[in-house]
Amino acid sequence: MRAPVATAVAIGLGIVALLGYFVPLPFLVDIQSLLLSWAVILAAVAALVAIFNLVRVHVRKLRGSPPKQRGDGYSLLVLAGFAVTFLAGLLLTPDHPQFQQAVLAVQTPVETSLIAVLAVTLAYASLRLLQRRPNWMGILFALSAVFFLILASGALSGLRGLPLLGDLLGVVERLPLAGARGLLLGIGLGSLLTGLRILMGADRPYSG
Amino acid sequence: MSMDWIWTAVGFLLTVCVLSYLFGDNPLFRLATSLFVGVAAGYAAVLLIYQVLLPRLVLPLLQGSLAERGLLVIPLVLSVLLLFKLSPRFTRLGNLSMGVIVGVGAGVLVGGTVLGTLLGQTRAAVDAFALQGTASPMVLLFEAVLFLIGTVSTLVYFHFGVKSRPNQPARRPSWMEFTASIGQVFLAVTLGALFAGVFATALAALIDRADFLFRAVQTLF
Repeated sequence: MRAPVATAVAIGLGIVALLGYFVPLPFLVDIQSLLLSWAVILAAVAALVAIFNLVRVHVRKLRGSPPKQRGDGYSLLVLAGFAVTFLAGLLLTPDHPQFQQAVLAVQTPVETSLIAVLAVTLAYASLRLLQRRPNWMGILFALSAVFFLILASGALSGLRGLPLLGDLLGVVERLPLAGARGLLLGIGLGSLLTGLRILMGADRPYSG
Repeated sequence: MSMDWIWTAVGFLLTVCVLSYLFGDNPLFRLATSLFVGVAAGYAAVLLIYQVLLPRLVLPLLQGSLAERGLLVIPLVLSVLLLFKLSPRFTRLGNLSMGVIVGVGAGVLVGGTVLGTLLGQTRAAVDAFALQGTASPMVLLFEAVLFLIGTVSTLVYFHFGVKSRPNQPARRPSWMEFTASIGQVFLAVTLGALFAGVFATALAALIDRADFLFRAVQTLF
């Protein structure tokens, strides 16, 4: 058996955390909130470990063989960006207005521009989808996308006041909720199964 | 030269670098994304330290009551053990801490999924039959039935379990195939609507960037 102590701890604490939801005993709820606060601290440390691992990978890339490996300049940029932001943040605190302004000056244009690039790639991908797979599913998908874009533009808002047509338009507007509910229930069932497999010790993603 | 001018110039350069991806992958795009990864990682690390570790672990350990300190010794030890995950040789020492995170996470996941998603969505599907709304009862009933069919058929579409029979290809029962094909229609409509939402958002971002570039050129030059 791999990692028996970690498995026992995961199963035990997981069941206690789960019982806190379904058994209305005050001490169970208290233990659950204590476990959650520990998990939050540990998750933060795990995230820090992941960030420092990222830094280590880029340091290795800089030192690695062959010495002039392609992409070294980019690793240097990652490390420089990390070092400046991390040190400035530690010294100034994250709430400092100038630190906020400096981080946002990088974050906002890059994130917004990446989403903007998505607009072009999505339009191109949808056209390619219709070219490559002109089946009824693809056509229905495209028709639905175009219809909901028109709906979002407000072009059909004049129809809402009409007695029966307005009601039907409302039904069509809410129609994606039916599929979304099915998807959500499917995701929920999948999550439930994953969680139960961990609580039963069938899956042990911590025994690395 | 004011600081605002510098940040506008930085934003302008980064926007141009990222938008250059429209002409294909190139060094400018990689430059901007590498810088972004570094800054985002540094910012995330600072936030984790200042907003989680300091107020929840370090400060209570230094200034809290004896009971508080005693309870925080356990996450402190587990946090130290977790740092061993950085070393390939001692990585197993971090398994216990990972077990705590995964175990508590699984308990919360199961509880949250049952109470939040499964019961919540099922209740919403049932509540639709209460026929409460401004539309006529017939339209509300039609909507409730249509939504129920859509939800069930979408779920059936993702059921891939089949009984294996000798010398026969594995296929779902015909009623399930039929229900799944109805589910496919609802899925196409849902994904189309989601696509429209994402596309509209992305288009708004593209317009915002174009507007920013235009204003930045006016400011800078």
